[in-house]
Amino acid sequence: MMRTSFLFIFSILIITSVTAQNNAISKAEKLTYTASYNMSGILTDIAQVSMETNEVKTSKSTLLRLKCTAVTYSKWDNFFKIRDLYESYVNPNTLTPYLYNRDVNEGSYFKNMKYTFSNNTVKSVMKKKKDYVENNTLTIHSGTKDIVSTLYYMRLLDFKKMSVGSQKSFTILFDNEEIKGMFTYLGKETIGTAIGKKECYKLAIGTSEKNVLQGKNNNLLWLTADENKIIVYGKFKIPVGTGELKIKSASGLKN
Amino acid sequence: MKKAFTILAIIASVLAIIFAVLPISNLTVLPAISALIFGAIAFYLSKKMGEVKKIIQFSFILTSLALAISTYKAFFTKTEVANTEVLDAKETQFEEEAIDELEGLDIDTTENTDATIGQ
Repeated sequence: MMRTSFLFIFSILIITSVTAQNNAISKAEKLTYTASYNMSGILTDIAQVSMETNEVKTSKSTLLRLKCTAVTYSKWDNFFKIRDLYESYVNPNTLTPYLYNRDVNEGSYFKNMKYTFSNNTVKSVMKKKKDYVENNTLTIHSGTKDIVSTLYYMRLLDFKKMSVGSQKSFTILFDNEEIKGMFTYLGKETIGTAIGKKECYKLAIGTSEKNVLQGKNNNLLWLTADENKIIVYGKFKIPVGTGELKIKSASGLKN
Repeated sequence: MKKAFTILAIIASVLAIIFAVLPISNLTVLPAISALIFGAIAFYLSKKMGEVKKIIQFSFILTSLALAISTYKAFFTKTEVANTEVLDAKETQFEEEAIDELEGLDIDTTENTDATIGQ
């Protein structure tokens, strides 16, 4: 299940470079999604996924906090309760991460992972139940980000300049390992969502980690083809069926 | 043959009941349809042989009950999140801790974008 939730979060991300400036993400944005399991066309709602931003001020700087939470619907809580929190404190313009925190509570499983970024070095602290603490210092490649900032960073990309079929690669740091991934731009598509009919950029995501995302073009994301580029729909291949992420509401958008 | 379909009908109807009481109640329709098909075949074969066992009718009752439960749940169960107080408290606590940690970091928010791309 942990892998499944990772799959969900991981599946909705991407990255590239470009000298992007943040003209897509506001400092008080809230996106809410429903994560569902689709078996033979029958959807079962499992959890609510929220993506929120807020401004964080220190004495020297102002940062953007990117926060993602996954909470199972109450009907599931007695069977398998998920209360996951992923957050990243980033540069508000470039989304370069400084601090990342992942707190996973899934059933009886607990894990907390904290990364402190400093150039190409990351100080990692992992905590598990029974006071288990593991400290590591990792060397990462330039541009490697955490999963949350990567997820938001894709919204800074200029899809207008991309041709159909073009691919971009990205690297994320997850569980103290750098994972390489790639997305393919599949063109524009108009889909119906809870926030209206939207013209979207359609992307296929893949990764070098075979256990995470399976198949070619089986893991898809739809981002609105406007200045906000918010994720409105995601479809992911999972064992026995597919997982879906559908937007429920969006507020505080920048444009 | 009749016995095989009877067993399949029973298994499918029991599965339908299990699905109906679990949060995956909207998937009940899959085993329920199977139970009805297997049950109908078993019933037809039994009738042809002149002996309809009560167990086949029992599987129909189970299936109907499962469908009734799942239909009720589909209309009257709200899909909502609850008990998020601990998570909410954690969010606040993490933000406070993060601000303390960020104070100690050398942060330059005027930097230009980094980048990571491969075509």
